[in-house]
Amino acid sequence: MAGQEDPVQREIHQDWANREYIEVITSSIKKIADFLNSFDMSCRSRLATLNEKLTALERRIEYIEARVSIGTRLTLCPVYSK
Amino acid sequence: MPLVTRNIEPRHVSRQTIPTNIRSELECVTNISLANIIRQLGSLSKYAEDVFGELFVQAGAFATRVNTLGERVDRLQVKVTQLDPKEEEVSLQAITTRKAFRSSLTQDQQMFTRPSLPVPVQDTYSTCNPPPPLNQLSQYREDGREALKFYTDPSYFFDLWKEKMLQDTKDIMKEKRKHRREKKDNVNPRTLHPRKIKTRKDEWERLKMGKEFVVPKNEISSSEGLNGSIGFDEDFNSDGFEQSTGSYAYESGSPLPPPGPDDILPPPPPDMPISDGGPAQQRLSLLSPSHPPPAPPAMSPPPGSRPNLSPPPAPPPPPPPSGFAPPPPPPGFDAPPSPPAPYFPSPPAPPPPPDMAGVAPPPPPMPTGGGPPPPPPPPPPPGPPPPASDYSAAPPAGGGHAPTSAPKPQPAPAGDGDGDGRSDLLQAIRQGFNLRKVEAQREQEKRDHFGNDVAAILSRRIAVECSDSEDDSSEFDDDEWSE
Repeated sequence: MAGQEDPVQREIHQDWANREYIEVITSSIKKIADFLNSFDMSCRSRLATLNEKLTALERRIEYIEARVSIGTRLTLCPVYSK
Repeated sequence: MPLVTRNIEPRHVSRQTIPTNIRSELECVTNISLANIIRQLGSLSKYAEDVFGELFVQAGAFATRVNTLGERVDRLQVKVTQLDPKEEEVSLQAITTRKAFRSSLTQDQQMFTRPSLPVPVQDTYSTCNPPPPLNQLSQYREDGREALKFYTDPSYFFDLWKEKMLQDTKDIMKEKRKHRREKKDNVNPRTLHPRKIKTRKDEWERLKMGKEFVVPKNEISSSEGLNGSIGFDEDFNSDGFEQSTGSYAYESGSPLPPPGPDDILPPPPPDMPISDGGPAQQRLSLLSPSHPPPAPPAMSPPPGSRPNLSPPPAPPPPPPPSGFAPPPPPPGFDAPPSPPAPYFPSPPAPPPPPDMAGVAPPPPPMPTGGGPPPPPPPPPPPGPPPPASDYSAAPPAGGGHAPTSAPKPQPAPAGDGDGDGRSDLLQAIRQGFNLRKVEAQREQEKRDHFGNDVAAILSRRIAVECSDSEDDSSEFDDDEWSE
């Protein structure tokens, strides 16, 4: 029996070690995926805030340009674009 | 059930069937799992690249905007230093005659269309079965429409909405003309109602307690049976419009918080399952069953209980097709609607009422039908009888006249030329057909000019509507759309 157990035991031990190894790898893959998701979300939200600020700035600049341009009062035409 | 944007491929690392001729199964499983892990890493890296690519593109766009902004600021700086107050010409005429500053509010449109799907979702979508190749049958159709559109038409709702808007503008203009004519006739006996001075004070009072509690004035006033048009006017200010446009286009930069990422195609009026604050909903629903309100020419007896708009606001936002199950135009509206109707028999259901409002006051059931009523919900129902002949976005005028136009000219001439001369009848019929074909072509060309520009369509309609209700309402239609 002892002789039988050894190789079987060894094999089972080896298998457990392998599984733990695989488990470590898969959990780190999940962490990477998590990180990617949260990075994506936070980046998008920051870019959106940036976008808002940019639009606000652009509007202010348009207004200032209109005020400053003396002879040609800017008539802004609607901008239709897709 | 939410769709996952990016799905990492081998979902279960170890669930694989083991070939039976293996002796050391444990090792086999281990190896299989390791191989799957490597595959997972591969798809993960692909998606990571995709994610960063999207972010990069966005950031790049912002970078260019920032650069142009910087240049403009520099130029402005130079210009300002050159400003000399003494040189500046200030004349009273200049102040009044020059065009006022209009800020160009750009808003997003066409946000949730097929082309704007992110790439991974498009890939997922492309793994589905395509629709059957019904377009091969289109060559056999007489009215020249695409056969596939009867089976599935992704642009159906947008086209519907576009048609309705265009039709509404036409009707409003017609009504305006009629209104003016009538007004000219009846100026003397009537007492002139001076225009109410519009102030925002009322609106600000309501906002004072908190924006969430704003109950749009229409609900209050309409319950008292006031003239719907007045309530409509007063609500029509740029804030209100911005709220509605906020709900039209869920842009992150919109001034008011968008109600949440509801997936809407451009047709704003129909699909608005929003549980937004009242104003947006009201605004929206006011726009769609908007015909009753602008309709009332000042002379139609206002004091009378003007049936109100309160019922309509509720129904239109929820499922439009079902809500607008064919609203048979109230009987009083039958005969006159036919003039506008020849081309749009059923969608004109809403437009005719405004025309008729002068004649028969209460359009109470109208409000529900006010929205775009596709006859039966199933998209352009295999179509001859019902209208939709000019509905589809690709109505090819070429293919010969619509068979639907056939029945119409026929009854008319058929009644006339019985004994007189069959040849006359035939001639009349042929001419009728020709006329319609040309008209159809012209209309189609006109429609092609519009393209899919939601902004232009909407703004034109709103402008017409505003100027209809009040003559100097140009201050309110200042929104321009673009993506």
